[in-house]
Amino acid sequence: MKGRFGVTNLLLAAIGFISVLSVAAPLWAEEGSTVITGVAAPKSDDIAGKGDPGAELTGTVNDVTVADSKKGLTLADLANQAGQNKVAINFVWTLVTGFLVMFMQAGFALVETGLVRAKNANHTMMMNFMVYGLGLFAYWVCGFAIQMGGSAPIANLGGVYPLNHEFVANLFGKPWGLFGTKGLFLSGATYDVGIMVLFLFQMVFMDTATTIVTGACAERWKYSAFAASTIFLGALTYPLYGNWAWGGGWLSQLGANFGLGHGYCDFAGSGVVHAVGGLTGLAVAMQLGPRIGKYNRDGSPNVIPGHDLVFVLTGCFILAFGWFGFNPGSTLGASGNGCLRIGSIATNTMLAGCTGSLAALLYMWIRYGKPDASMAGNGLLAGLVAITAPSGFVNTVGAAIIGWVAGILVCLSVEFLDRIHKIDDPVGAISVHGTNGLWGVLSVGLFADGRSNYGGSWNGVNGNVTGLFYGDAGQLVAQLIGIATLLGIVFTLSYVFNWIVDVVVGQRVGARAELAGLDIPEMGALCYPDFQLKTADYGAGTSGSVAAPAVAKR
Amino acid sequence: MRLLGVLCIVGGWVLAVGGLFITPSNAGRMVFACLGIALSLYGNLGVLNGYYLERAIWKK
Repeated sequence: MKGRFGVTNLLLAAIGFISVLSVAAPLWAEEGSTVITGVAAPKSDDIAGKGDPGAELTGTVNDVTVADSKKGLTLADLANQAGQNKVAINFVWTLVTGFLVMFMQAGFALVETGLVRAKNANHTMMMNFMVYGLGLFAYWVCGFAIQMGGSAPIANLGGVYPLNHEFVANLFGKPWGLFGTKGLFLSGATYDVGIMVLFLFQMVFMDTATTIVTGACAERWKYSAFAASTIFLGALTYPLYGNWAWGGGWLSQLGANFGLGHGYCDFAGSGVVHAVGGLTGLAVAMQLGPRIGKYNRDGSPNVIPGHDLVFVLTGCFILAFGWFGFNPGSTLGASGNGCLRIGSIATNTMLAGCTGSLAALLYMWIRYGKPDASMAGNGLLAGLVAITAPSGFVNTVGAAIIGWVAGILVCLSVEFLDRIHKIDDPVGAISVHGTNGLWGVLSVGLFADGRSNYGGSWNGVNGNVTGLFYGDAGQLVAQLIGIATLLGIVFTLSYVFNWIVDVVVGQRVGARAELAGLDIPEMGALCYPDFQLKTADYGAGTSGSVAAPAVAKR
Repeated sequence: MRLLGVLCIVGGWVLAVGGLFITPSNAGRMVFACLGIALSLYGNLGVLNGYYLERAIWKK
């Protein structure tokens, strides 16, 4: 009896459940496409008749894309439109800031060309011009894949899910992400709208690193050697370090694997872009040796003035303008968690550049009695380089201090390399980008104020990025490991490859070509054919630090 | 001398990263990292650059 009653109840319950399902299931299925009614929309006839001068009728429910016009506007349509709007805002933001960074090439070209002698202007300009083509090609072939091939997901750009494979070596019980493998030639599944945006933005960053080297090696570098060196930097050295820092590689995982803060943090590339470029410049400049006439027989340096300070300072302004793409653009979006910090990042960038310029100007003025134009320009760039890594993690006071230190540091570094180590750097690129790139990396570990993490976790570690001054010593250790890697691995890679180039094709032009100026021997055309160049005055005799002319005069 | 310079430079990195496995304390790791950076800088500006300075064009 008991059993029979149980079976009846079971049958009734089953019938009831099926009845409920049959009613509810369509509702569940349709939940995402619930039709929305009652939304007032302007009539097209109104707009056609009067236009919309007050911007009150444009951008309404009429503009939301409807999947099924018979059904009308649904909740799913609204959700899809909201998602697409977010990604669209981020695409436009990232592309436009990428375009700004691309324009920085013009700034670098002007600064470097202005700081060299007129007889080398075509050669210097053409190096800056062709880093774009050479670097881009190498980066498209394999550089991007090595750097970002395992970086998915990046939510701000719609996921970029095809970039999903990182080569990881398991050493000493820890995973070490070494390089990405997806995205060679941007082919296959990586033919993806989000990945194209990411590629463009990362490519112009890589290009910045390659153009730094041309400044340190100006006025004596063979064009063929420059071309080979640039391709290697764009194809391998830069992407490797970029992967370790930004592509999910081992430096970025120092927090997750070793408990060091949030791992190596480099918001926009003081290390990845500037220190890589500056240290590569150091490696090549060392091998090239100083220009003829730069040092006297007793080792004292001479001044080799640049030929156009107007170029130099105009270039600095263009670079400062482009930096508003460099740093704020590194959020990879203007809509998403933490992305509204773009205002803070832009302000930090502006402040550090200003304090850097001011500090360098005052330093030179107090120490040598005159405000030095080229060093004021280099101070501006030094401040901008230094704030690049911490720009997303510090407050305005921190930014101002970082820039101030950078402005003085660039003057000291130019003197140090010029006088003590006798490394000839015609434009001060090693000091501006190398020294201050390292300072920028370090400053994250000191000044990060623990107020930002851009979406809950940075490098897979929950919480905010916090430096030593705000309570996290581990973050400083992570930054120091990044610096050790730049000095120990990036420099070595650049040195060894450029040594091979030196053996195979030779890095340095002949003495006769150097004295004549590289425009004719290397490029086949003068930059200023209608002008009388004072080659003999500067070629073999008086020369010295262009980056710090006042330094060598005393 | 160039090989010695390169060995110093890479050795600095090995020292810095090795510190992560040698000690779990932040202070200890910081010391190893700083020593590694110093060694790399010595190899770079001291040993390697020293090689090129000996052969500098202005000494000829």
